[in-house]
Amino acid sequence: MQDERKPLLSLKNVKKTYTTGGGELKALGDVTFDIFPKEFVSIVGPSGCGKTTLLKIIAGLLPKSSGEIIIDKEDFDISREVGFVFQKPLLLHWRKVIDNVLLPIEILKKDRKAMEERARYLLALVGLEGFEDRYPGELSGGMQQRVSIARALVHDPKLLLMDEPFGALDAITRERLNIELLRIWQETGKTILFVTHGINEAVFLSDRVIVLSARPSRMIESLDIELPRPRQQEVRVQPEFGAYALEIYKSLEIG
Amino acid sequence: MKRKPTLLHKALPKLLYIVSAIALWQALIMIFKVKEFVVPSPISVFQSLFSKELVAENTWWVHIRTTLVEIAVSFSLTALVGFFLALFISWSKLLRGIFMPVIAVLNSLPKIALAPLFLIWLGYGFTANVTIAIIVAFFPVVLNTIAGLNSVDEDLLDLIRYLNASKLQIFLKIRIPNSLPYIFSGLKVSATMTVVGVIVGEFVASSQGLGFLIKDSQAMMNTPPMFAALFLISAMGLGLFALIDFLERALMPWNTEKTGSAT
Ligand SMILES: Nc1ncnc2c1ncn2[C@@H]1O[C@H](COP(=O)(O)OP(=O)(O)OP(=O)(O)O)[C@@H](O)[C@H]1O
Ligand SMILES: [Mg+2]
Repeated sequence: MQDERKPLLSLKNVKKTYTTGGGELKALGDVTFDIFPKEFVSIVGPSGCGKTTLLKIIAGLLPKSSGEIIIDKEDFDISREVGFVFQKPLLLHWRKVIDNVLLPIEILKKDRKAMEERARYLLALVGLEGFEDRYPGELSGGMQQRVSIARALVHDPKLLLMDEPFGALDAITRERLNIELLRIWQETGKTILFVTHGINEAVFLSDRVIVLSARPSRMIESLDIELPRPRQQEVRVQPEFGAYALEIYKSLEIG
Repeated sequence: MKRKPTLLHKALPKLLYIVSAIALWQALIMIFKVKEFVVPSPISVFQSLFSKELVAENTWWVHIRTTLVEIAVSFSLTALVGFFLALFISWSKLLRGIFMPVIAVLNSLPKIALAPLFLIWLGYGFTANVTIAIIVAFFPVVLNTIAGLNSVDEDLLDLIRYLNASKLQIFLKIRIPNSLPYIFSGLKVSATMTVVGVIVGEFVASSQGLGFLIKDSQAMMNTPPMFAALFLISAMGLGLFALIDFLERALMPWNTEKTGSAT
């Protein structure tokens, strides 16, 4: 079904070798996959296999060594259409929450006044109504990460790149944010590429899970997750859920 | 929530401290019968401030005003020139490579020792004084600002780089705000040095100002106005410091919880 649509983003044989003082380090061996509009795709893989590297290459923060990244050119300007949620919240501590959310608007030189409404709406969406005028130092880690999600959405990007956004959080907060993220994804119609260490998290969230091997990484599996949506916590105890998780676990073992 | 201490609450201990120090000073002078040309009593220091005679060929007010204006002008120029020079040097790796060694060498010079040279180059008076004060004071601002501009977490830059931020935007949105605490600590060091520079300038190249007054009174072993001038100078230094502290709090409201009192 999906494959008949035009991909939003195609990676073809993307490779990345870092050259450092100590010699060459092959991070991305050979990575090829497509992402379709409105899809929720997760990437799992062992630590150090190049997941962050891959997201940064897609966002244009790092040059790739070889390969191609094809984007739906007509109306997809990568610098305006990508929202990046980094592993750390990376809030500017001298800006109030609302001004942090509006940062991409300022950088893209859009009309700040007109976007303030939207920033407030997004903060409410991530459950932070009433915190607009606080400074980041006054928020908890989980709240900071939610601010960073609102910030990544503020310029209405088509593609969200999320690098282990909930990695540093406790299990309860993480699972609550998973539900919130799915709600946001459904409400806003974004395409999401989500990097995680958590196999369960990947299964719970995704339409498709891409499994990368250890360095130099290749794609060892692309697994469609056909659990019904909208997904609630109950999904986690369904037998299919466990089966998907096990399959990913096994391919990580082999890879 | 604690009750906010009133101004009186905060000022009272300091006031008591000052009053008892002065009382002790007066007592020691009276007990040991110290000669006035060695150390004057606080009373005669105070009286010298209001004597109708001219001090060092001018009224007190002329000296005070001269020194105040020199401090204000040289500190403002130090802050402005220092900030923009640091910005310029930090703009690119190339500029840093060219100018950092120059700055390091200049900074290692004994700047106060240059004062007589500036007298030769610029003549007596205001210009020479201000120039000497700037030379003496401006390296802390420059070096601190450069350090602040370059101490940004790379990840923080990625945050706006992926949106194709321009170099100017990176400076305006991230590097400069990030460097504010560094700039202010540089300004505080520079403030003290500005006062030193102005006074040294007046020793060397002036016929007005509190520095000149000290030198001139010294020639006549007239210590009470020297002491009075010293107190006025340190009051100016403290005033400048307080002004910077106030600006720091006003410009960095996110920081107030952490910094507390800097004095
Ligand atoms: N700037 C760099 N210079 C040299 N090597 C790097 C650089 N950044 C990453 N690497 C190396 O590339 C490999 C992949 O790094 P990357 O951060 O992409 O891994 P990751 O999959 O995100 O790991 P994790 O799950 O632990 O976050 C690692 O072995 C790392 O040491
Ligand atoms: Mg990573």
